[in-house]
Amino acid sequence: MTSVADAVVPGQRLGHVQEYAPGAGTYLHQDFLYASVVGLKQISQSSSNELPTLSVQRENSQSAIPEIDAIVTCKVVRVNPRFASVSIMVVDGKPCTDDFQGIIRVQDVRATEKDKVKIYNSFRPGDIVRAQVISLGDARSYYLSTAANEYGVIFGTSVAGGSLIPISWQEMQCTKTKIIELRKCAKPM
Amino acid sequence: MDRKRVAGPELSVAPLVEYPVDRKCWIPQKDHRHDASRQPEDMRPIYLKTGLINQANGSAYIELEKTKIACGVYGPRSVKRVGQGFSGHGVLNCEIKFATFSCAKRRTNVRDPQEKNLSLIISQALTPAVRLDLLPKSAIDVYITVLESDGISSCLSAAITAASAALAHAGIEMLDLVAACSASYIPTGPSITATESAGSIASSPPQIFMDADLEEEKHEQGSIVLAYMPSRNEVTHVLQSGKAEGAIISQSVEHCVEACNKIYAVMHHALLESITENKSV
Amino acid sequence: MASASTATPATTAASPAFTFSASTFQKLHPAEYFRKFVSQGVRPDGRLLNGFRPTTVHHGVITTANGSAMVRIGGTTVVCGVKAEVAEPRLDAPDQGYLVPNVDLSPISSSAFRPGPPSEQAQVVSEAIHRVLKESNVLDLKDLCIEEGKAVWSLWVDVVCVSYDGNIYDAALTSVMAALGNVRIRNPTYEEGIVKVSGAEDLSDDNSFTLKLARTLSSATFALFDTNLVALADPNFAEESVSQGRITITLDEAGQICALSKIGAGASSPALLRQCLGHARERAQELRQLMKQ
Repeated sequence: MTSVADAVVPGQRLGHVQEYAPGAGTYLHQDFLYASVVGLKQISQSSSNELPTLSVQRENSQSAIPEIDAIVTCKVVRVNPRFASVSIMVVDGKPCTDDFQGIIRVQDVRATEKDKVKIYNSFRPGDIVRAQVISLGDARSYYLSTAANEYGVIFGTSVAGGSLIPISWQEMQCTKTKIIELRKCAKPM
Repeated sequence: MDRKRVAGPELSVAPLVEYPVDRKCWIPQKDHRHDASRQPEDMRPIYLKTGLINQANGSAYIELEKTKIACGVYGPRSVKRVGQGFSGHGVLNCEIKFATFSCAKRRTNVRDPQEKNLSLIISQALTPAVRLDLLPKSAIDVYITVLESDGISSCLSAAITAASAALAHAGIEMLDLVAACSASYIPTGPSITATESAGSIASSPPQIFMDADLEEEKHEQGSIVLAYMPSRNEVTHVLQSGKAEGAIISQSVEHCVEACNKIYAVMHHALLESITENKSV
Repeated sequence: MASASTATPATTAASPAFTFSASTFQKLHPAEYFRKFVSQGVRPDGRLLNGFRPTTVHHGVITTANGSAMVRIGGTTVVCGVKAEVAEPRLDAPDQGYLVPNVDLSPISSSAFRPGPPSEQAQVVSEAIHRVLKESNVLDLKDLCIEEGKAVWSLWVDVVCVSYDGNIYDAALTSVMAALGNVRIRNPTYEEGIVKVSGAEDLSDDNSFTLKLARTLSSATFALFDTNLVALADPNFAEESVSQGRITITLDEAGQICALSKIGAGASSPALLRQCLGHARERAQELRQLMKQ
């Protein structure tokens, strides 16, 4: 159980580098470990021959920002033959306070037969997509990829306005009209 | 004419104030401040609280008697102004705004050069403390609203202190908190009231009044604002204006560093208080 | 948090195979998230459908203003300051002063607001307050006359939103009324084109005056949600962003309606309007108690 005595603020000296290994929420400066966030100090020992790791458990977590390899949930904003523009709403299960822009390029939609991919048969505006960040991209957008079974459309609305249910990895069926629409679906986990 | 606001008269002025003849006006004297209960090295008591703005990622409110400032931190979020190209570092944008009713004279809604200047100083004072290298292509927006001001220098230093507390409250990684403090050089002694010549002012060394209020600022010949990272013992920004001798300046820097350490204790307390409050909920 | 205790299992949607935490679900499907609560007769923050958030009013918080007030409604905080300055009267109304209310939705208060000129929302709120003050004759502008045709007082009533969590109109109007009730202006003297006031330290009824307000306005806002005619009292930011319309009722202390507006696409029936009016009357009582100094 942690107590308020373990609470630290940025800049507070926590220990010497010979005693602890720096963990999350800390930084190293001239052989000493300092806290870089407000939170509770925690010491964890993974194995006996290593230094215990000193980390600070954030009190108020920073709002989520996309990083390489992070799994994000995003909404398709618009599509064109080369890429689908999305706005990233959730990063690693944490909702973003402000959306980030991302794009899924046509070559990143699936892993095989990349030259046959048509964006319009994979994503439609309004779809909710699960994807992985592959690059910080350009000044504007993060680059995302859905080239794995578990990535792709997770919610969609059909032309008729009903919700879509996946029936195969590239087809979804409208619950109202039973019309089949094409999507790059995510495999339910 | 501003069509986006409810229009008032095109020109309005504050009425002319006629003071009674027997009005007791504060005259700077040695060890005698405008607020008689304060010693030259005393600051006003600080009230600092974090987390008053729901939607902000971090926020702080600071009060030094009459001075009242609110600060909200938004971000890290995506950079809205694209054009600088890809950046591996985050950006820290600071913007200070005086409410129209915050000063003795009504301020207009137009963003004036003074606000721009102060915004720049605040972001320069805070940037060294924030680990922007961890936030590629993101922006942190710090908005500061001055609800009431009692002295510009003290207002600026309070804004820096509040902004740094709000950044820490937002969970943004920082090297250290930044505490800021102001001091004014005020000529004292009988020489100034007896003779009005400039020579006599220079002859008596000015006294350093910490955290001067508006009334004291009117008499100052110079001032200093110092932003300081207390646990790393590093200065992030110094702004010295007006005429002062080297000895006075180094003495005032010492005083400010000392005061910043006291402010740090207040910030430390306010941030830990927010932890205990969260725990009890 | 209150939302955690009242949260219904918000994990099922179109395809049950994907599970989310409540906060993620709210982000992805805000309207659906809301519908689940409202169908149970509660709101995500634990309030009942006709419940208002706790409200506080503080008078005279700003010493540099002639009158001021800070109002908090839940997470919404506004500060109103009144500054009195001297101006020339209009040619068509030589004995009338000016009353100029403006609301500033500053970027400090919400991530939805950007720095720059007033947004559309800020203009709408400012104009609504301006109209209700003017049309219900809250203040006789002749009281603001210093010298007919030469000089009058101009009251700049500025509202700064410090923290935004919905229902800005109610908060702003309450702060404006509280600040106007708090205004004290030094008695002016007019001499050869110059208006002078005494600079005496202490203000009393001998050297200054207060405003005579004809009526005290208080308002209640309801968000219209969904087609099945549900009205949510005092909507917060999340509720406002999924709501389809709004009803605002402004009353004076006698219970007379001074302004009533219904905006947005949401439909409303006469029965619903009467129901809102009933709640607004109760709310007006409560606000008047709070506004008393």
